[in-house]
Amino acid sequence: MAYTFNGGIHVEEYKNTRRCRIEAFTPVKSVAIPLQQHIGVPCEPLVAVGDTVTVGQKIGDVKEGLGCPVHASVSGKVMDIAERPTSNGSIVKSIIIENDGLDTPCPDLTPYHGRLSDASTEEIIRIVREAGITGMGGASFPTYAKIQSAVGKVDKIIVNCAECEPFITANHRLLLENPASVINGVKILLKAFGVHTAWLAVEDNKLDAINKLEELTAESNMIEVKVMKTKYPQGDERQLIFALTGEELPAGKLPADVGCVIFNAETCSAIFRAFSRGMPLVKRIITVDGDCIRYPRNLLVPIGTSIGDIIEFCGGLSRTPKKIIAGGPMMGQAQWDIRTPVVKGTSAILLFSNRFDKRKNADETCIRCGKCVRNCPMHLMPNYIAQYSRIGDHENAAKYGAMSCVECGSCSYNCPGGVEIVQFIRMAKATIRAEQKKRDALSPNQSKQK
Amino acid sequence: MDKNEKTILTTDNDVQTEEKKVPIPVFLTVSPSPHIRSHENISSIMLDVLIALMPAFLWGVYVFGWRALMIAVLSVASCVGFEALTEKILKCPITVSDLSAAVTGLLLAMNMPVSVPLWLPVVGGFFAIVVVKQLFGGIGKNFVNPALAARVFLFTAWAGFMSRFPAAGAKINSVAIELAEGDIIAGATPLASLKEGTLPDIHLLDNIIGNVGGCIGEVSAFMLAAGGIYMLVRRVITWHIPVAYIGTVALLTYLFPQHGGVAADFMLAEIFSGGLFLGAIFMATDYTTSPVTSKGRLIFGIGCGCLTVLIRYFGSYPEGVSFAILIMNVLVGYIDKLTIPRRFGGNPDGK
Repeated sequence: MAYTFNGGIHVEEYKNTRRCRIEAFTPVKSVAIPLQQHIGVPCEPLVAVGDTVTVGQKIGDVKEGLGCPVHASVSGKVMDIAERPTSNGSIVKSIIIENDGLDTPCPDLTPYHGRLSDASTEEIIRIVREAGITGMGGASFPTYAKIQSAVGKVDKIIVNCAECEPFITANHRLLLENPASVINGVKILLKAFGVHTAWLAVEDNKLDAINKLEELTAESNMIEVKVMKTKYPQGDERQLIFALTGEELPAGKLPADVGCVIFNAETCSAIFRAFSRGMPLVKRIITVDGDCIRYPRNLLVPIGTSIGDIIEFCGGLSRTPKKIIAGGPMMGQAQWDIRTPVVKGTSAILLFSNRFDKRKNADETCIRCGKCVRNCPMHLMPNYIAQYSRIGDHENAAKYGAMSCVECGSCSYNCPGGVEIVQFIRMAKATIRAEQKKRDALSPNQSKQK
Repeated sequence: MDKNEKTILTTDNDVQTEEKKVPIPVFLTVSPSPHIRSHENISSIMLDVLIALMPAFLWGVYVFGWRALMIAVLSVASCVGFEALTEKILKCPITVSDLSAAVTGLLLAMNMPVSVPLWLPVVGGFFAIVVVKQLFGGIGKNFVNPALAARVFLFTAWAGFMSRFPAAGAKINSVAIELAEGDIIAGATPLASLKEGTLPDIHLLDNIIGNVGGCIGEVSAFMLAAGGIYMLVRRVITWHIPVAYIGTVALLTYLFPQHGGVAADFMLAEIFSGGLFLGAIFMATDYTTSPVTSKGRLIFGIGCGCLTVLIRYFGSYPEGVSFAILIMNVLVGYIDKLTIPRRFGGNPDGK
């Protein structure tokens, strides 16, 4: 019996690249490494224009507050430190490195020498931070901070290998081609938390990976493979925890509050690499797919590789794309510039014509079919929230639970009326947040008393 | 940007180097996620409903003759025509291609006896589309089911035409029905006999298959159920409303039979007679005028069932399906409010 949750949708999978081996690709000319690829404070550059850098060299760090360093992903010369677009649509100061093609590793990098059983939690957290590891599933929360805040509160680690987004097969290929790195990363995390349970949650559309993982974890009495039903959004941490433990994460709480901590599969692999080779997070696996790319594939690319270089490597375009998406088609962001680089949280580059996103009707109309209500993994009434948002009644939108929306897009995907439900909810959320802020600013004492 | 650069060919499968290179577009669309949609739209759903209605409708044509088809064509054409016309006058986008007007038209026709004058479906179509649907804002905005409201309108305004049921197998193939009025047998429908407290003089099987008098589309419970199963399989409707509705009628008529015989016989005669199947499967499940939550749909179905039985037992009409559904239609907003689902993780205010 596969684990699952209530609600959600069956999205057509389009996992076209499931048999494409991961290929390494390094852009010939240059990479642009944004100084902010994580949730938190942007990094300060540690290098100047004209400096020579090596692979894995720290080129930016956060002095104070939440955040983790960024590293050079190719060796060469710093050409420029300039503002560049990033995949979330913001303009971020980026370090542009000209590739000298030598791939000289940074001499300071050393593998972890001691035995894992002797490693202290603090030491592991320090190494993870220095390696610049963030959550690689998309949210990009600094991993060291996640470990720090959850230590002592959790009794199990969940490794999210659900990969419920259509098209993306990067995690699937990682689990097939290098499952040991993921499992070893999990072992390091088990040590860091001092717990004895880790679950690898994989959707049942990746049975080959499940078999492989089960083989490798057969000896272990701590790591267990959990088979999840293939359904979107299984990879959402709330649904993952509910499916596995039956516990509902209350609004505003973190997984640690119910004793769980969740890591992405590739994040685990990156943690292992930081230990075994001393190499920080400088490369990641991405899926390149869509109906406009000539040769869809899975690539291991240095952080900072531009979308344009990736398109070229994949044989160019086969037809003119309407959209270029960083991330999955359900929650990824549409891009407006092909200079935009791959960052730590980019799991895919998708090039779509309008084939997947056709206008459904002459007019955008809610026909009250109730599909969004049935599909909402948060058990909201998206149709009502969207309607209240549309007429500007944010009070009622909040009453119907706008702030609980996780923006998975299940409602919009299935809406036969073609209503941009999730977008209306996002608009309501933004307004509600702004109003809340305004109210707090007006009466700071009152809100404190509360 | 990079379009003047040479392609870097690095792998074996790049053999088609001669193929024309597609340039990267200057403008890319930036829009919020999701970037992928299901193929389902209003017209695909409405097409499914039309397909699901076909068995019962074709049965109606078989039993009542070609005139049934004529009435349906007139009704559908007038619904679609009035929709286009109103939208043109009101300067709204023309939405007839979503097929919802066609569904309304076919449902309206199936709710009429075959012997009605040919202008009646046109008047009904006008009332359904213009008055009930478009004046309230078009698809998704009407608060009662257009086809049902039109049926009730016709029923109260031209009761004579609307309750003159030809007998089963009448096979009326001529247009000029008025001229041959004497030929129509105003046979008592099963419901009319039930109203008088006697079991209809019809074999149960005939009642299920539809060898009885009645409206064009309501007679064959079997064909209607087949359409309902098709809609369930295609996920057009959920089971809640039909099951709750028919189940409630079955339970109430079994517990409180109106005549002295076997309760089960009375119950079966009640559920397979009249418009219950057509109403429960196709009318009460109308998206716009039914609740959006599963719990709400159960309440809605049970409410329809109770009202239907109450009207059949105590009302002055033999049939109560139309009125029951219309009354529940206007309560949908409240049912939705009462059945707001419990949020995942609990509501923050502890409710």
